[in-house]
Formats: sequence, structure tokens, C-alpha cells
Amino acid sequence: MSAFMKPHSAAGWATLLLAVIIILLGLPLLYMGAELAFLGGSLYYVVCGLVVTAAGVLMAMGRPLGGLLYLGACAFTWLWAFWEVGLDGWGLLPRVFGPTILAIGVALCLPVLRRAEHARTTNVREVA
Amino acid sequence: MMSNTTMLRTLLLGATIIAGTAGVTALAQVPPADQPPGNGNATVSPGTPTPPTDAFSPPSPNAPQAPGVNAANIPDGPPAEPSEATPMVEQVTANPAHDDWPGYGRDDRATRFSPLDQITPSNVSHLKRAFIYHTGSKPAPGQVNKWAAETTPIKVGDGLYMCSAMNDMMRIDPATGKEVWHFHANEKYDSIPYTAACKAVVYYTSSTVPEGEHCHHRILEATLDERLIEVDSEDGKVCEGFGWHGMVNLMKGMGESVPGFVAETAPPPIVNGAIITNQEILDGQRRWAPSGVIRGYDAETGRFLWAWDVNRPHEHGEPKEGEHYSRGTPNSWAAMIGDNALGLVYVPTGNSAADYYSAMRSPEENKVSSAVVAIDVKTGEPRWVFQTVHKDVWDYDIGSQPTLMDFTKPDGSSVPALIMPTKRGQTFVLDRRTGEPVLPVEERPAPSPGMVPGDTRAPTQPWSVGMPRLGFAPLKEADMWGMSPIDQLYCRLKYRRAHYVGEFTPPSIDKPWLEYPGYNGGSDWGSVAYDEKTGILIANWNNTPMYDQLVSRKKADKLGLMPVDDPNYKPGGGGAEGAGAMAETPYGIVVSPFWDEYTGMMCNRPPYGMITAIDMHTQKVLWQHPLGSARANGPFGLPTHLPLTIGTPNNGGPVITAGGLIFVAATTDNMIHAFDIHTGREVWNDVLPGGGQATPMTYEYKGKQYVAIMAGGHHFMMTPVTDDLVVYALDNVN
Repeated sequence: MSAFMKPHSAAGWATLLLAVIIILLGLPLLYMGAELAFLGGSLYYVVCGLVVTAAGVLMAMGRPLGGLLYLGACAFTWLWAFWEVGLDGWGLLPRVFGPTILAIGVALCLPVLRRAEHARTTNVREVA
Repeated sequence: MMSNTTMLRTLLLGATIIAGTAGVTALAQVPPADQPPGNGNATVSPGTPTPPTDAFSPPSPNAPQAPGVNAANIPDGPPAEPSEATPMVEQVTANPAHDDWPGYGRDDRATRFSPLDQITPSNVSHLKRAFIYHTGSKPAPGQVNKWAAETTPIKVGDGLYMCSAMNDMMRIDPATGKEVWHFHANEKYDSIPYTAACKAVVYYTSSTVPEGEHCHHRILEATLDERLIEVDSEDGKVCEGFGWHGMVNLMKGMGESVPGFVAETAPPPIVNGAIITNQEILDGQRRWAPSGVIRGYDAETGRFLWAWDVNRPHEHGEPKEGEHYSRGTPNSWAAMIGDNALGLVYVPTGNSAADYYSAMRSPEENKVSSAVVAIDVKTGEPRWVFQTVHKDVWDYDIGSQPTLMDFTKPDGSSVPALIMPTKRGQTFVLDRRTGEPVLPVEERPAPSPGMVPGDTRAPTQPWSVGMPRLGFAPLKEADMWGMSPIDQLYCRLKYRRAHYVGEFTPPSIDKPWLEYPGYNGGSDWGSVAYDEKTGILIANWNNTPMYDQLVSRKKADKLGLMPVDDPNYKPGGGGAEGAGAMAETPYGIVVSPFWDEYTGMMCNRPPYGMITAIDMHTQKVLWQHPLGSARANGPFGLPTHLPLTIGTPNNGGPVITAGGLIFVAATTDNMIHAFDIHTGREVWNDVLPGGGQATPMTYEYKGKQYVAIMAGGHHFMMTPVTDDLVVYALDNVN
């Protein structure tokens, strides 16, 4: 379990919680998205599910790359949503609303992840 | 100030939004229903133990009618020969008094247009509740809610007349709501079919009883337990000269049945002295359900006049002793409309029994199902038929009442025409004399031969290409919706797991199929309103697909599906609009809304309900927008309290007034709305105590204009049920 971050503060715990939520949301996207792709539907979900799950795992490991990956996935989601439904408000709602709320959380967690990474690299150096 | 519960719900909702699994939106209140079993699950593999089939067998279609099905024990007498009606005097609906609303659709043409103009877009904000009248009919504690009153009162002179959901009739004071009399129909709960509803009573002026005598002016209704009842309009006492102590038994000649299988919920029209009756037969029960026969009775005496029985086309008398009207024939449950000048009644028909399987239907049935049939009210002979769906297996039975109009052709000539809205959202305009389309109708290729062995689909279907379509383009995967990517993905999966090749996707067994438009319309029983002076037609309609699957007989048995007249039937064991046994056919049917059954939200994107204004001179849409707000709907059945106009499913028609307003309730936000007819802008609304699933009406009394709406709710639309008739008037008029 040493790969995962060990929170020492409220912000740390919040980051870990967010990471777990992102994993829990990414896995069904990946699983159901694979079935959808298999049935000839949109490929977005399986790809996005994979990226989001990976982002959540990396975040749980205290890697800023995870947060950046999630933000990237969110930005890509916006582009994809515009491509699929244009500027239609009702159409955009399910596609971008929840992911963007989460993205705000992820952005707020980036400093925590940076600190965690910094601490880890320092620890590694000390051990070495 | 929010209540604790509201606050908790708001918090919960907020939490789910943050979690990304929920969002703001609102939705379709559609009921819980059994879900289609899915890919490969509609059959039972050989060797699997299944319940004994004899438990799922309905009685013989030729079994005699059990006592008690004739609810009031009305003595039947010998089978009657055809006869002709007592000549009729002109009725109040022929030329309604300025202040009155004397019939269900106001007049003989069902225009739902009132010449009243006291209330206008500029003063409608002063519209306040004048009174609430309680009909006294709602579910008792412990009773399954099957209520949806759907009632529109009528107003003639000094009286406001209406029926309750369980067929009590009453006269109330138009100014105060005080009850003048109350006729008790003494109906049993068992007699409720799919829904306890009574759309309206009928006002009839006698040609034989002189003015001033009892029953010169009468109030007529057709009941859930299959009676015609006439009472005096002044005292509410039965008309002894009509039938047997004021009643006629409509179960006579119907053969084997049980209470609740056959019912009347629509007002029977009186055409040239003939009361015309149709009846709702519970959907999805068995192939040999009771007959859809259309009958005429003398409005003066209740004497039988004729029958139009699809599979006994040239026998217009009552069936001989021991025989019955032909079973399983298309039933008509919509409000019909008469035509005194042409001597016709226009019957919007439904489907043969066992809606989703057509291989056992006779050629005669195939000609007249889901059609408009014009019947000669003197003889019962059909004069013409116009079919709106060929070999219907989608429950596209016509729910709307036709509206009559004079159509001006480009060459300036006038055609007596009939507007027939349908669940498909195709609105047909026909010549009343011949049934020929006045506006072009095209036969377009439809998916065929279908996927059910031995049950081929029609190669073409009719499209009313001359009228704007009350519907949208076929669904795409990208039209799937939800609150978050996850439930949207779930709906995309449901979409991909089903058969769907656009409208008329044929029924299937191997996996579910998508039915779009769904069986709630397009246009359902609310019908349309039409202003003859301006030529503006107003229609409110639905956009709610269905997700259906045929299941093998063994699977249907396993699901416990049995027809309502099976001795082992238990309520809840297969309803009219959900799963149905379709006994005596090879398949049962599972029907559900196309929704996310976990959140209770529809799978397609909003809107789910619309209102459209069409200029009938040019057949162009004047304006069209979503109808109904998100306030009372939302994920997990929670109200969002958001005033967003999302467009909700709706049942109940519109009303047009000369004041330039449209009044319509119908939506699942439990509101009544007023729109400016010229702009389509919502200029007023009010939250009703229950669901407004009824058509409003308006009348003037002692110089004051009133607007009445039955806020009876609707069990299927999951709106609150009440027994409240809510009546509004301007608070700045005395």
C-alpha cells in the first residue's frame, strides 16, 4: 500500500476521497463504455473511462500527473460534447456538468498533490 | 422558508450533483413498470421448471356472463331488433349560448373554443381562485390508486354539471361551487378498469317530455360499470322513462367478462336522437376479450337501436340468446363526435385485443383498427373508414376526439372536414362526407415483414404530410440523456441493446424494441382546440418513447402474467399499460417507458411535452415550445423546485378563448397555464392542489368569466390525486 498517499491533513484526506470518487466513476464508464463500443456505439466512454480511472489511481498515489490527466480528460470532454450536441444546454448538461464540478475539485487538489509528490521525492532521497 | 424535508432533499440533491451522479434536471414522471427481460431472456429454455399452464388460462370466450357483471342487475329482456331513434329537437351544443360550455368539447364540433373575452393577456394576472368544489371521489385508505378523474364540467344556464371519477353526477352553483344536487352512482371499486375516470356528462333536451316537466332537460352519463344513466337536470333524480329506472345495461350481449374489463370513460355523443356508445376494453389481457362493438340507443327511452359489430358486419340487432358480440374486435375508448347534418358519428378506433400481436386478426378487423370510422346513426352501417395505422402492433389506438371544421380549399370552396390527431403525432384532415384526405396523405414504406414468425407488418404506413408533425426526428444514440455521463451512458447502452429502425420498428422477441413515438402520443385523449375565426389550432402533445419486448408464453407464465378474467388473477398481475398476458396468443408483452429505471428519468433528452399553434389556413406552425416546468419532477422522484420550462409529459387538452388566451393544465408540474395565443408566451400560471390531467373549461355567470379545471391527478402520470375542481375568476371584477 505504500504506493498510495498517506494523508496528514484535511486537504490530504479530501484529495484521497476525490481520487476514490474519480476511480468509482471511471470504472463504470470503462466497463459500460466497453459494452457500448462493442455494440457499435460511441467510443468516447471507454476511452474516457480508461483515462479517468488511471487519473484517479495516480491521484490516489499522490501524483500530480493524475490531476492533470483528469483535467485533460475534462477539457477533451468539453470538446467532444460541443462536437456531439453543439451549444445545446440540455444536451451539454449530462456531458459536462458533473465532470466540470469534479474538475474544480481536482484543480483545488493540485497543490496537495504537488506537496505529496515533493514529500515523496524527498523521502525517497532520504532513504537513498 | 423551506421545510425540513425540502431542505434535506435539496441537500441530497446537491450532494449527488457534486458526486457527479446526478444533476439538476427534471423529469418525466413515469411510473414504475416491469422492465423488458432483455437480450435472450424473453424465452424459457427447455427443461426449466415452469408453473402449471392451467393456472394461466382464461375462461372460454363462449362462457355465459356471470351474475354481477351487469352491475345494477338491470333486467335485460329478449334480444332487440334494430330500430330508429325518436326524432330529436335541437340541442344546446348546436349553437351554445355565449356564456355556456354545454358539452365536453363545448359545441357540436368539439372546438374547445369559447367566445368569452373578459379575461385577456393584460388582466390574466388578476386570475385568482373563486372556489374549490370536492367531488368526493378519491382512493380510500388501502386501495390501490387507480384514479385520474379527467373530468371537464359542462355549464348550461344556471348549472355547472359534472361527474366524479366514480360516476356520481352533480350540479353545482357556477358562482359559489355550492352543490345543488348529487346523484350517487354506487359504483364498486372492482368496476374500475385501468383508470377511474369520467370525462364529462352530456346535456340532453327531450323531444317528448314537455318543458317544465321532470326530465325535459336531462343529464346523461356512461359509466365505468357499463351503464347509461339519465337524470333530471333540475333535481338529479333518475328519468323513469329512460331504460329501466333511468338506466341501460351496456353489458347486455357482451358475453363473458368480469367487472373492470369493459368500461366507459368518455361522454357518449347524441346524434339525431341516438346515443352512441363505445367502450374501453382493458388492453393486453387476452385475444378473445369482450367486443369493441359500437351501439346506438334512443336518447328518449334508452331503447336499443343498432350495433356495429366488426366481425358480424351486417347484423345490426342484439345477439341471440346464448350468443354475444364478436370478441377481440378493435375497441374505441376516445370521445366520439357526431354530425347531425350528415347523420354520422365519427368513431376513433383502437386496436384489436392483444395489441402487440396481429396474426390472429380477421381481415374485417384489419380494415377498421386504429382508424376513423364514420357510422350512419340511423342504421349502424359504416359509411367510410380512414386508417391511421395499418396492422397496428404499437398500441397507437386513437385517444383524441375528432374536431370538426370547415376547410377552405385553395380554390375557395369549403369542405366539411374533420381533424383527427393521433398518438403518432400525425394529424389527419379528412372530408367528413367521404373520409378522403383534404390535406395530402402519403403511404410511405415501413419496416416489414417484421421479426415475429407468421406475423408480417404492413409494407407502408400513412403520413399526413400536409400537416406539421407533432413530433421530432427519430432517436439517435446522442439523444440519450441523464444527469451525469454515467446514467447517460446507461441510456446509450439501452438504446444500443434494443432494435430500433425508426418509427414502426416491429415488435421483437430476441431483445427489446424501441417504440417512438410512444403510446402516450403525440396526441392523446386531451385532443386539440380550434378557433374557427382565426384558423388557429392548438395542440399539446408528448415526446415519450417506450421500451417493449414480446415474451414467450412460458416466460409470460413465469412472470405471472394472466388476464383479468382468469380465476387466479390478482390485481397487479399484469396491468393494461405495463406487462400483459395477451393470453390465447403465442406471446405476452412487457411494456415500459424508455427510461433509466434507477433514477426514474426518461432516457431521451427533453422536452417530453410540447404545445404547438398551427395556422390551419396555411398549415404552418405559428409557434411551438416545451410545455411544463421541472418544479415537481426530478431524479429519484424528487421535486427540483426549479422553474425551468423543460417540457413534461402531459395529458389533458387545451382551451382557446376569444380573449386571446389558451388555458391548459395537463403537465406533470401540477400547474394550470395560460398562454397568449398570438405569441405563445406564458402569461399566467397557478399551482394546483393535484395533477391537472383534465381539459379545462370556461364559462360566464352573472357577468363574470370563470375558468374551471379538475385537479384530479393521474395515477399513471404519478401526479397527486385529489377530488378538487378548482375554479378561477378575476379578482378585480364584481
